[in-house]
Amino acid sequence: MAEAEAGADVKRGLGLFALGVYLFLYAPIVVLAALSFNESRSSATWEGFTFAWYLKLLQNAQVMQALRSSLIVAFVSTVVSTLLGTAAALAFHRHRFRRAAWLEALFALPIVVPEIVIASSLVLLYAALSLRLGLVTVVLAHVAFSVSYVVVVVRARLHGFDRTLEEAAMDLGAGPWRTLFAVTLPLCAPAILAGALLAFALSIDDYVITSFVAGVGSTTLPLQIYSMVRSGVSPEINAVSTLLLLATSLLLLAAHLLERGRPARLCAAPAGLGFALLAGPFLLGGPSAAGGERALNLYIWSNYIAPETLAKFEARHGVKVNVDLYDSNEALLAKLQAGNANYDVVCPSNYAVAILARQDLLLPLDLSALPNLAHVDPAFLDRPHDPGNRLSIPYFWGTTGIAYRKSRTGPIDSWNALWDPRFAGRILMLDDARETLGAALLLDGRGVNEEDPAALGRARQRLLAQKPLVRTYNSADFDQVLLAGDVWLAQGWSGQFAKAMDQDPDIEYVVPKEGSSFFLDSLAIPRGAPHPQLAHAFLDFVMEPEIAAEICATMRYSTPNRSARALLPAAIRDHPAIFPPADVMRRVELLEDVGEATVLYDRLWTEVKSAR
Amino acid sequence: MSARRQALLLLAPAALTLLVLFALPQALMFEASLGRRSAYGGIVHEWSLANYARALEPLYLGIFARSVGLAAVTTALCLLLAWPVAWWIAFRVPQRHKSALLVLLVLPFWTSFLVRMYAWIVLLRTEGVINAALAAVGMPALDLLYNDIAVLIGQVYGELPFMALPLYASMEKLDRRLLEAAADLGASPLRRLREVALPLTLPGIAAGGVLVFIPSLGAYLAPDLLGGAKGVYVGNLVQAQFAVARDAPFGAALSFVLALLVLVAVAAARRPLAAARAL
Repeated sequence: MAEAEAGADVKRGLGLFALGVYLFLYAPIVVLAALSFNESRSSATWEGFTFAWYLKLLQNAQVMQALRSSLIVAFVSTVVSTLLGTAAALAFHRHRFRRAAWLEALFALPIVVPEIVIASSLVLLYAALSLRLGLVTVVLAHVAFSVSYVVVVVRARLHGFDRTLEEAAMDLGAGPWRTLFAVTLPLCAPAILAGALLAFALSIDDYVITSFVAGVGSTTLPLQIYSMVRSGVSPEINAVSTLLLLATSLLLLAAHLLERGRPARLCAAPAGLGFALLAGPFLLGGPSAAGGERALNLYIWSNYIAPETLAKFEARHGVKVNVDLYDSNEALLAKLQAGNANYDVVCPSNYAVAILARQDLLLPLDLSALPNLAHVDPAFLDRPHDPGNRLSIPYFWGTTGIAYRKSRTGPIDSWNALWDPRFAGRILMLDDARETLGAALLLDGRGVNEEDPAALGRARQRLLAQKPLVRTYNSADFDQVLLAGDVWLAQGWSGQFAKAMDQDPDIEYVVPKEGSSFFLDSLAIPRGAPHPQLAHAFLDFVMEPEIAAEICATMRYSTPNRSARALLPAAIRDHPAIFPPADVMRRVELLEDVGEATVLYDRLWTEVKSAR
Repeated sequence: MSARRQALLLLAPAALTLLVLFALPQALMFEASLGRRSAYGGIVHEWSLANYARALEPLYLGIFARSVGLAAVTTALCLLLAWPVAWWIAFRVPQRHKSALLVLLVLPFWTSFLVRMYAWIVLLRTEGVINAALAAVGMPALDLLYNDIAVLIGQVYGELPFMALPLYASMEKLDRRLLEAAADLGASPLRRLREVALPLTLPGIAAGGVLVFIPSLGAYLAPDLLGGAKGVYVGNLVQAQFAVARDAPFGAALSFVLALLVLVAVAAARRPLAAARAL
């Protein structure tokens, strides 16, 4: 009797425990779904219920295009890898191969090797084969890493499988293929389905590998999401995620009902709705980018040009602009160094221009086709990374500085504030070797392009001493962390802080008195660009004063275009973060490539970050 | 047609795919790991073992050790959470609800991991959902984000299903009569757990352990986003060599060392698997 009661208690306890685990799994899902209905753009506050983000999502051509690419890639790679993987699992099941250890290793290692290694090794392969980067190379990459997972799942099911059924079929006269299709396959159907679901989930969420092997018109949803994170995960992204979850749940519900023998009518409703949701992006999003005979292929940072601006260029020249996004110069360098990306216009930072120039990867510009270059401030022309602007034109620039919550900190004017124990646990530093060591170097009276090991060693000591005060290192959405109230002071880049200041008047931005660095992002045309004339037309287009002013007003980074600045409303023209006064400009230094010292910077930064 | 020819035909497409899309690129990578970085981040093909020697310096060994620690704790926590849930689904839930509950375990994985990590930030941060709830009942705010516990929450969250599913698979297969026999013979619940249930689910524990441990070794998103990037793990380190320092040869060498570590871990998991099969 007591035993039975204890059993009931255990049973109830188990149930409660399981409930807790399911709550843990679904808490963030509830949050992201809720945020997709939040009126505020920022995730920091709840301002009321709205469907607006779902409508915006439908109009966001880039996100819809990315969703289409993701679904195509996931579907094709799932089908291919499920077929290959299931066949291989059956082969392993039915036959003991000689030299099995090598085969086992070949199938197990793709699960073991880090993604980034698979990614960069595929870049080497595609470059060696001169494969043009695009949807095909992405699908091949996804097949490469999914096959092994399918094999593992299906083999697990086949292990301990009742072989007598197969033997019975053979004894009754069925050949090996008939036995395979009539007996073995139906019996492991659930495992094949599980393998396919896993492959699909891996593909639709893959970022690292895709970012290295994607080309023109193959930006997938994770690439789009990562590049948008600089401005915080937007409610549109939460809306897309919610819709994808909803579609999946509906399809799984339909499968579940069908499995339990419910009438087909009952299953049709969720199945139809689920498929409709997945087909939606293909029906609504307008023409697909891949087509179009005359097109400009643009590869640029996210939040660097508005779709409305691109539409004007498309209308004027009767062409389509394909936009792909990246979130680091290194991704761009990898693409162009591989030499098979087919982009017409790219947007490298100054140091990346220098690296590309040394490797002869940029097309010399025909300056006679760029009359609007006359509008650009000479301060940004003829810089060391590109003497005479033979290869690139300045597009956006910005400074590194400190943004702070003035009600908490009072006025700030020095890098020393980031070392002030009064602000312990309320400090954010960029997660960037050059910027953090740069700030420490400036406090030591050195410059941000220092290569002297002794000075760099002292900078590391400063950062080690600062580490206990730092709440977080972050170079993606540092402005959002400041807005959300997690920190009071943040090192970061001016463009993002300018937007934060618009949202919260309590936030100020300063370029410290010891000096700082600035960056200059340029537009350039890679060698081998399919449409060089159109690319020149685009470069000249974005330097038109009205267009440059529109780009600056929508994106809030600083334009190097003098004539455009004059056209801007005073609030932007005189914004202290966007256009700092002349005395500030005198104390900022352009961040240059430091060559061999890059390795030393990385090593010192690794030492700082791995310190306890 | 013989069964052997059939097996070869079935195997060939996948094996060829992996040879071309995995083994060949890895060979190119291994060659790169023997080279060195050029001044502008290219690869100089002059062979030496310098990168491997550098990977074994104390700074990097420390990072490897820390990653193994994180992966081990993640695996242990996943086991602690997943085992009772898998048991509950396998033995306490009516048959008709099982597949739905299993699917619910995996469903969150159909949204981007990054988006889910940001949702955790919204829950944990200073002015976040949990602290708002605490404030509502008059409790002081807690610093939940940007520490090791937040990293573990993110890691366990990301890996839990990879532990739960193999556990469930091994429980479903096990012979219930053994459990009943143990109960009939008067073994206490604790003893039944320790001496019957756990040993019988050892294959699932080993399989889940491998599936959780390996990806955890390469973890970088949870430490960066929830931990505030205040620690370096192998995942970030390798990533940084390719994506920041543009030192592909060293990055390749590090990743081959990592792969070696993983192979050792897998070999270690083989023994309980084999022992369990012998039962």
